[in-house]
Amino acid sequence: MTLRVLVVDDEAPARERLRRLLGELDGGNEVIAEAATGDAAVRLAGELHPDVVLLDVRMPGMNGLEAARHLALLEPPPAVVFTTAYDAYAVEAFEAQAIGYLLKPVRAEKLAAALARAARVAGAKLARLAAQDPEHAPRTHVAARLGDKVRLIALTEVFYFTADQKYTTVRHAGGTDLIEDPLRALEQEFGAQFIRVHRNALVNVARLAAIERDATGQYHVRLRDIDERLAVSRRLAGELRERFGL
Amino acid sequence: MEAPAAGSTRSLNLPDFCAARAVLAVVLIVTLTAVVLAVARGGTGLNFWLDLGRTSLFLLWAGLGSAAALCVLRVRLARLPLATASAVALGSVLAVIALVSLGVLWLGSSAILGPRASNLLLPVAPQRFFAESLGIGAIVAALALRYFYVSGEWRRNVELQARSRVRALQARIRPHFLFNSMNTIAALTRSDPAQAEEAVQDLADLFRANLSEQRSSITLKEELEVARIYQRIEQLRLGARLRVVWDVTELPMRAQVPGLMMQPLLENAIYHGIEPLPDGGVVTVAGTLDDGVIGLTVRNPLPASGHAAPTGNRMALENIRERMELIYPGRSSVEAGRVGDEYVVRLRFPCVIDATRVSGL
Repeated sequence: MTLRVLVVDDEAPARERLRRLLGELDGGNEVIAEAATGDAAVRLAGELHPDVVLLDVRMPGMNGLEAARHLALLEPPPAVVFTTAYDAYAVEAFEAQAIGYLLKPVRAEKLAAALARAARVAGAKLARLAAQDPEHAPRTHVAARLGDKVRLIALTEVFYFTADQKYTTVRHAGGTDLIEDPLRALEQEFGAQFIRVHRNALVNVARLAAIERDATGQYHVRLRDIDERLAVSRRLAGELRERFGL
Repeated sequence: MEAPAAGSTRSLNLPDFCAARAVLAVVLIVTLTAVVLAVARGGTGLNFWLDLGRTSLFLLWAGLGSAAALCVLRVRLARLPLATASAVALGSVLAVIALVSLGVLWLGSSAILGPRASNLLLPVAPQRFFAESLGIGAIVAALALRYFYVSGEWRRNVELQARSRVRALQARIRPHFLFNSMNTIAALTRSDPAQAEEAVQDLADLFRANLSEQRSSITLKEELEVARIYQRIEQLRLGARLRVVWDVTELPMRAQVPGLMMQPLLENAIYHGIEPLPDGGVVTVAGTLDDGVIGLTVRNPLPASGHAAPTGNRMALENIRERMELIYPGRSSVEAGRVGDEYVVRLRFPCVIDATRVSGL
């Protein structure tokens, strides 16, 4: 079966070598595109729908583990095989979770075997993997599913997250999107950059402008750059004031 | 900026006088002193052995008492400046000797031992005995303390060297770099065999420099060459993302420097400063010669989400700091910290030019 492959690595020689190895394998696999960063990979995968993504773990900006989590939202999600030169931790974790990986320099026969076995990786598994990472860093983006594509939203662009019964809404510089992460998980992951102002709202600390009280005694936060107010629970108003001197 | 490594202020580090090893040394010193004294008094036959016996008995009390006093004082002494601590240590030994002497004299004036034993064991001229004990005690104690201090310093130095060697091993080229380089070479063997060959040679040179028993000093020219080789390999991998600006024309290339400082610093700068940036950045290596002091500065951009001072980084800095302190005690400094949106490491050490040695490169 011919596989359509997306090759992702920040180093040009590494991409070049994978492309050549893939070309030399039996079965006529096709490299449909290359990407040098995690976010480019997610974008390309949404457009081209590759069967397999060969994904470098260590990349600047969005790393491979985060990119894989966003890829898992695609419909249908691609199979992912990680590549790494040396990440003692990652290799151990991949083994433990039975996630496909290749060590660089990659051997042709290992590549063939990995492609034959390649399977989609569930997002939950990847989230667990990331949470166990000793150098665990929060994701740089959240992703919204849009038809058969995924929209990446940089965390720095986000104003706030709000939760209804089922979905989480993200309000960002480019508009509003629905994402699947529960508010509680977002709060845990991005606790350093976001703060809960209400039972159902999580606000980007960098976007906080002021805290106000209206005639009825209800507190609100005002945000930078957008003319929107969010209700603040009475319990959290004092804490907010103290922490940010609003 | 982090404070520069302070030249460790010297303190009186004595061995643990509660431990068998030091007590044995004290007993040995005391016994030998007793032999010297007995021989000097020139007694013969039975008189010599009696003299040796009672001198040893007296000195053992004095010696073990002093060891006990120093054992109690040890921790406090180590905190005092060297001169004060020495005076306190010597003073406490003399106090012990004075106490033991007084005890002996008290024994003589009481009638516990009976007249025969008293005549045999105890001094006849109390004042002279007291003065002699203190005088001899002061000299022997001073010599012994000096001996303990010097051998302690020597041991400390050996330990420091051993530790810095261990650190050097740990700070060696990251495995990450080795495997990435191998991957780059694997790609180049087909697409550009000539460049692959060059890369293999560079990698060999780099590992030779890293694996060699750390020569305590090489010329600055050799040192910078190793760093440049490292840069060439990284350049193949990172391409246009890595730019290194070398501003080192002012430096005396024949100067003797500790080996393998620049390559680890450059490696840190690339690993922490360039690789996390999708578009890369500039690493600047600048050198100055000022009043006989060489200054070397490595600057790299700080990625926005950069975790401050990662552990690998500190390890290399600590290693360089220790080695410089061994080679130029109190005359070198290693500073590191963020300045604006850059991370800056600055080394300073005396410029030493060995006229007899001709550069090998």
